[in-house]
Amino acid sequence: MFRTTRPALPAALLTIGALALTGCSGSSAPGETYDPDEEVTLTFAFWGNEVRAGLYEQAFEAFNEEYPRITVQNSFLDFPAFWEKRQTEAAGGGLPDVMQFDYSYLRQYAESGLLLDLAPYLGGVIDDEPFSDEILEIGEVADGNFAIATSTNAFGLYTNPALLEAVGVEEFAGGTWDDYDDWMEEVSDAASAQGVELWGGVDWTGRIQNFELQMRAGGEDLFTEDGEPNFTQDDLEAFWEQGDSIREDGTAAGSQKVEEAYPLSVFDSALTASELNWDNFGTGYLGNLGDSYTELGLVAPPLDVEGAQDLFLKPAMLHAIAATTDHPEAAATLVDFLVNSPEVGAVFGTNRGLPASETQLEGAALEGLDAQIRDYEESIADRLGDAPPVPIVGYGTLEEKFRQLGLELGFGTITPGEAASQFFSEMDIVLNQ
Amino acid sequence: MTTTSTRTVVTAAARGRRRSRAAAPPARPGLKRKTLRETLAGYAFLLPWLVGFLGLTVGPMAYSLYLSFTSYNLFTDPRWIGLGNYVRMFTDDPQFVQSATITLVYVIVGTPVKLAAALAVAMLLNYRDGGATFFRSAFYAPSLIGASVSVAIVWRAMFNTDGPVDTTLSLFGIELGGWVGNVDLVVPMMILLAVWQFGGTMVIFLAGLKQVPKELYEAAEVDGAGPFRRFRAVTVPMLSPVIFFNLLLELIGAFQVFASAYIISNGSGGPAGMTNFITLYLYKRGFSDGQFGYAAAIAWIVLVAVGVLAFVLFRTQRSWVHYAGEDR
Repeated sequence: MFRTTRPALPAALLTIGALALTGCSGSSAPGETYDPDEEVTLTFAFWGNEVRAGLYEQAFEAFNEEYPRITVQNSFLDFPAFWEKRQTEAAGGGLPDVMQFDYSYLRQYAESGLLLDLAPYLGGVIDDEPFSDEILEIGEVADGNFAIATSTNAFGLYTNPALLEAVGVEEFAGGTWDDYDDWMEEVSDAASAQGVELWGGVDWTGRIQNFELQMRAGGEDLFTEDGEPNFTQDDLEAFWEQGDSIREDGTAAGSQKVEEAYPLSVFDSALTASELNWDNFGTGYLGNLGDSYTELGLVAPPLDVEGAQDLFLKPAMLHAIAATTDHPEAAATLVDFLVNSPEVGAVFGTNRGLPASETQLEGAALEGLDAQIRDYEESIADRLGDAPPVPIVGYGTLEEKFRQLGLELGFGTITPGEAASQFFSEMDIVLNQ
Repeated sequence: MTTTSTRTVVTAAARGRRRSRAAAPPARPGLKRKTLRETLAGYAFLLPWLVGFLGLTVGPMAYSLYLSFTSYNLFTDPRWIGLGNYVRMFTDDPQFVQSATITLVYVIVGTPVKLAAALAVAMLLNYRDGGATFFRSAFYAPSLIGASVSVAIVWRAMFNTDGPVDTTLSLFGIELGGWVGNVDLVVPMMILLAVWQFGGTMVIFLAGLKQVPKELYEAAEVDGAGPFRRFRAVTVPMLSPVIFFNLLLELIGAFQVFASAYIISNGSGGPAGMTNFITLYLYKRGFSDGQFGYAAAIAWIVLVAVGVLAFVLFRTQRSWVHYAGEDR
């Protein structure tokens, strides 16, 4: 069933358009259900690690119990390599049938006509009842609905209780960004006094998400609906200057430590007691920290403006189907299973974020850290505002540029003013290329 | 009289030519057919290579040159921007300037050091025959595995903080810390990795050293030349073509450093862009940032730089390369 919130005419036009594009023979009209007798092989690509690969294998086994004639050939890479490969596949018209997808690339791929419009399948092959309207709207871009969120996540402050206990410092009790700096300094000083190699955290001005939080606390998103920046070069310079003191007095772990640990973070490597990140990173942290660490703290990020709604729920990841797929019905069937099935919820827990589908969330039976993440997202309800617009084309490039400039500030090879200037040059290219 | 005689001679000569033409078999048409057949056969054999060369080398290069004048992200049609990419590179991209600078440092410092190491070991192996096969293999092995992912990973582990290199240096009171994340030490570390892979160059030097006539050394020794003088007056001139060959190859190879930088920095080009060598930078601009027009422009600048360098080397070789049999 199509959602009644959508105007009937555009939906009909979309269906006709999709029919014209993919159903020339008339035998595989979009919106039709998969014929269970048809032998189909689907390719599926995701980013992640061995742990996530194991979870997907379990999910596909459950899928094949229900759909034994659909074979899923899957492959995975780490996040940067995943997108490098998709770029070349997109150019050659060879994208995998089904992909784990990231919000920051949605606009680029959707506007380029590389993704299948899921609108004809929503309410039919893909059950949309278990999703809220807000979640479904996440995939709406370029006059269609091109992806469906598997899960949501929110930004949070992770801490390591075992390390804090070892140096005798209490958990961060919440507060302003200055309070957070003070707490980090307390941890770093305590560790230094005991001869332990540990810092309170890293220079948080190296993450664009923290800049975004401060922007949203002031009532603005990073970019407008039209993709124009809501900040000036001076704003950015002032933001980076906030990190001067913790960079210089050794409160934050230095850039050299960060580089040496990369691609893991210094928090993964037990070199810092805290890290600001998306809340679904928790299971990955525990996996990388090793068996001697069994729990993590998760609290809201610092905030300078009382009552501000700086946080938001983001799709941790989405699923999308290539426009070139030969088996849209089977692909939509697989997507439905991966986003709605309770069995998949039980397998993944919060590995992909908090399940966005109610049926999958119920199946997840969250415990331990998974339950902690769910409780965290409930606890920040007052700070949750509307999600920002779908990221601009090239957002991934800007995010990485921001990270690298942050590291250069830590090395002292650049000043905040020069960093802001370089970022704006890059942004000019990205926005106007 | 004179005129008549001359005409007679000319006429006779012409008659002779006509006779000889008439008497000779009709060789030319046959030869033509044969030549045409041979030519066609030649082109037929050449065709697979020619198609490959035009389709896989010349075609893509021409397209790449065209792309270098466009803004192109793979998803939409290329948009012509003239010299925009080239102007941006030199006026509005500090990352490119940094990348080009560290690449030049790597080439200018790394290549002579690598050649010197290769020549030194080649001379050592040339001097002693005992166990030569084992030592040649041992020194050559890093070149075979040098570009592999595993070696770069091992190199990263060795030079990290508390790695074997750091620990060993600490024993001698040298506290440098890790090299991998150190802005000042990561380029020397990359040069060391390149120098360590001197085996291929060494084998070529060794082959060159075997060709130097022993009599020259004996004559020099009789004349009272010491080891250094013999090296300067005999080895270097006689080996100069091989030095030139190795220098050219190593310079071109050094410009293309990619795999080790990619692995050691996990593709980031860090710390602070110090392993962002030019090929890694253009790769990231293309495949990570989707700026394929810009990446193509960088690739052409690299090509021109390497071409200019090779041209200069070829021009200067007259003054220092000695080819046997040449009288200069």
